[in-house]
Amino acid sequence: MYDISKELKNKIKFVNQVLLNKYEEVLSIDRQSLREYINSKIGSILKIEKFTEEELKKYTALGGILGVDGSKNRMGGAHPHFIEVYQGLAKSTLYKDKPIYKVDFYTPLYSEEEEVNILEEDSVRNEKISNKKLAAIEVEAALEGIKKLKPYAVIMDGSLIRYKIVCSEKWEQLKEECERRNILLVGVIKDIKTSIIREALKEDNSLPIKEFFHDRELLYGLLDYGEVILTSINTRKEKRGFTSLFMRSSLEPTVIGMDMLKSQQNYLLEMARLIFTLTPQSSRGVPLWLDIIDSEVKIPDQMIKGLLESYLDRRLFEMLFISERDKRTI
Amino acid sequence: MKVVGITTQQEVYVGSKDRNFRINEFLIIEDPYQGDLIGEVVEARTYNKYIPLNLSGQLADSSVLESLKAIGYNVDEDTIYLAKVRLLNEALYPVQAGSDVRVPEFNEVRDLMINCSPEEGLILGVIKNTDQMAINMDEEYKDLLYTFEDGKLKGQKEIPYIFNIKSMNQYPHIGIFGGSGSGKSFGLRVMLEEMMNLNIPTIVLDPHFEMDFSEIVDYLPKDKRVDYSDKFKCLQVGVDIGVRFEDLSPQDLKNLLDASSPLTDAMNNVVDILFKKRDSYNSFYNRVKMLAEAQEEGSIDRIDRRLQECTTDLERQGWQKRKELYLNYDKSCPYSSVRGILWRVTRLYNEGIFNKDIRKIEEGLMQGKLMVIQGSTRILQVFSTYLINNLYHKRREYKDSQFTQGASEYFPPFVIVTDEAHNFAPKGYDCPSKAILKEISQEGRKYGVFLILATQRPTLLDETITAQLNTKLIFRTVRGSDIATIKEETDITEEEARRLPYLKTGDVFISESARGRTIFARIRAANTTSPHTENPFDELKGKIEEGDNKFFNMIKDKLPINGDDFINVIKEIEAETGITYTIDSFEEMLNNLVEKGYIIKEKTPFFNVYKEK
Repeated sequence: MYDISKELKNKIKFVNQVLLNKYEEVLSIDRQSLREYINSKIGSILKIEKFTEEELKKYTALGGILGVDGSKNRMGGAHPHFIEVYQGLAKSTLYKDKPIYKVDFYTPLYSEEEEVNILEEDSVRNEKISNKKLAAIEVEAALEGIKKLKPYAVIMDGSLIRYKIVCSEKWEQLKEECERRNILLVGVIKDIKTSIIREALKEDNSLPIKEFFHDRELLYGLLDYGEVILTSINTRKEKRGFTSLFMRSSLEPTVIGMDMLKSQQNYLLEMARLIFTLTPQSSRGVPLWLDIIDSEVKIPDQMIKGLLESYLDRRLFEMLFISERDKRTI
Repeated sequence: MKVVGITTQQEVYVGSKDRNFRINEFLIIEDPYQGDLIGEVVEARTYNKYIPLNLSGQLADSSVLESLKAIGYNVDEDTIYLAKVRLLNEALYPVQAGSDVRVPEFNEVRDLMINCSPEEGLILGVIKNTDQMAINMDEEYKDLLYTFEDGKLKGQKEIPYIFNIKSMNQYPHIGIFGGSGSGKSFGLRVMLEEMMNLNIPTIVLDPHFEMDFSEIVDYLPKDKRVDYSDKFKCLQVGVDIGVRFEDLSPQDLKNLLDASSPLTDAMNNVVDILFKKRDSYNSFYNRVKMLAEAQEEGSIDRIDRRLQECTTDLERQGWQKRKELYLNYDKSCPYSSVRGILWRVTRLYNEGIFNKDIRKIEEGLMQGKLMVIQGSTRILQVFSTYLINNLYHKRREYKDSQFTQGASEYFPPFVIVTDEAHNFAPKGYDCPSKAILKEISQEGRKYGVFLILATQRPTLLDETITAQLNTKLIFRTVRGSDIATIKEETDITEEEARRLPYLKTGDVFISESARGRTIFARIRAANTTSPHTENPFDELKGKIEEGDNKFFNMIKDKLPINGDDFINVIKEIEAETGITYTIDSFEEMLNNLVEKGYIIKEKTPFFNVYKEK
């Protein structure tokens, strides 16, 4: 067997101790009092019901639901010798044979935008462009989907605020288009990164929490299956024109987030019920429809490699995008 | 439909988004470099990536799938259909991945499916899963037969399976394997019907008394019914046919006796010594019996004393004869062996074997008829040894005489058919009929004598014979050892062998050396039915009702019957019908009728009164 280094073992033990110390507070908070606190200060905890089949049929009549997701594949090694391929997909539940694909790529070796900020780290810049391109392609797919397929609602994989931050121009187009056409725009957030509760706690000392905690940690296991928190406080999101809620959509104890345009906040609960209906009870909490789109938009690495191998000049490909790491055989 | 995944020269996977595959279906792969390749589906699967088989992870529950459907998205439509296709002929290179695949037209597969015209071959059934190809089929192959599916008669939609009987000249002998209830006897019946259609001289050894073709089925439309009554004949050993003792050679006699019960070397010797050419049964029997009696006396002195004691001439002649036999044969024929021969001969005689001859069979064969030989398994073992030896050598003599310039009477080629063949040619031990069947299996082809052997236990059938069966019909088989034998002896694949235990009754794999591959077929509906088709439980019920009715009719006009008057009623019945009942049994039967509601019973203070209902 492998001889595990003693030092490594000790380090991990140490990490465990540090984390235990930090999270002792969270782990020891009484579930009931935290729920009460949230109910009174953050937003009301509500129980929602799934739609019946009859109610769902309404959405078919109104144009179906458009799901949007994107994927990213990377080939190559370190900066600048890599290439990234982005693919966005918008697909309506009604027109399954009319998926809308959008594709883009990025490599630092060829940069469309020439205003390079010298102060910025390469990796940070790459990351930024990468995120922007991916978000942009998703928004583009959504835009085209809205125009061509006229759905009742659009469900984006990821927070809406992210699009506003990384590709604001395109986002504004999408937002306007949706508001003009009265199409509901919903973002579903699998991994919530917000810290609304902590922010609220800062000004309030009713709970003995001193450390910095994310919502994800505080909400873990707090809600029952089918419960949502309608945030009523003026969060940063609110200020940027969004409205949001948390929801436990499956038996998994983690919660997911959902945001919508403030202008459409009347539909927030309705959309929450829709998302809840479309999420399998025993799944990780994401609507099946988004999972289906996710699996369709993903391109296997093998295929990207195959495409690059066939369509790139072999010499270029080997010179630029094959890292020393790729050639390892052991 | 497209070729997907990694391909080889022999096997490819074909995927489709909208068309499900059927096992044993034929497909044409349009390889852009090698041209059209034809293959057969050996495994079919479906897969839906959104409904994975996942025991621990997330599972899309049906309510969510229903919800998705309600908003317009049907997950079922994302099902992928996959088929493993084996090429009939190995390709030169691996098949090009991405090649288009299509269903073949009839004329593209005609040579693969049909190698003989319907008039000249045995129309045994249909090739399964060929309905799409059969649409453009030539008229001559259409409407040849009916099949039974789920208890209903169906017209022919698929390509017919026609067994080319002429190919038996090159690839002789047929084996029919399958467990009980698998459709084996039924398949044999259809095959024999077809042999009668072609007027092929055939001998059927029928230990079950089931190969009777006189009952025509009523499910077929009137104009499609076939009457076989003048094409076959059922003959019972000992009643209609038998062995003419005068025609027996010493070897025939030894075979017969041996079949009755195995002979020792000494017994064989006794037959050789005591049996004279042209012996009748009586002359032979008397000789053996007198020798035995003489030997019982023990010595020549005692026989002499017997001679002296004789009072009549006849008696004296008898003892004189015994003395001669004793002097001639006592040394060479031990007493115990003589006794052994004696009781064996008597046994055969009592079974009536020596009463008749086989002329009827010979005549029938000459006329191209199907001769069904019926008798118990043991008698058939005895008789068939003699019969087949006899007929085979007749045919052989005729064929040989064509080369030796000798004159010999014409004798037609013929086919020998038997169910439960493992009784006639068992593996592992000797049995008189086995030798001749083995000989025919090995060289019968040259003389135009063929075997059709059916058995539920191919493992118990002699291996030399199994190896010579060039065509095998394999019905449902459940026993592992039999499946192993079948796998060894035929070209059926691993996948097909796995399907054997689950075949529907009447579905059959036909492995033909002449075609070099296995065909999945369904046997056609038979034109005649076995006399044994009545369910024994129905029969039982019927018989009981019959008995009750009979008794009821007998007493009907004697009702009401008083409990103290049984004796007079019984007397009356005895006088009228000759049937006597005891009082107890009579009362029991009356009560039985009461129970079944034929009559009613009234209780009075003194006795019961049985009244009409």
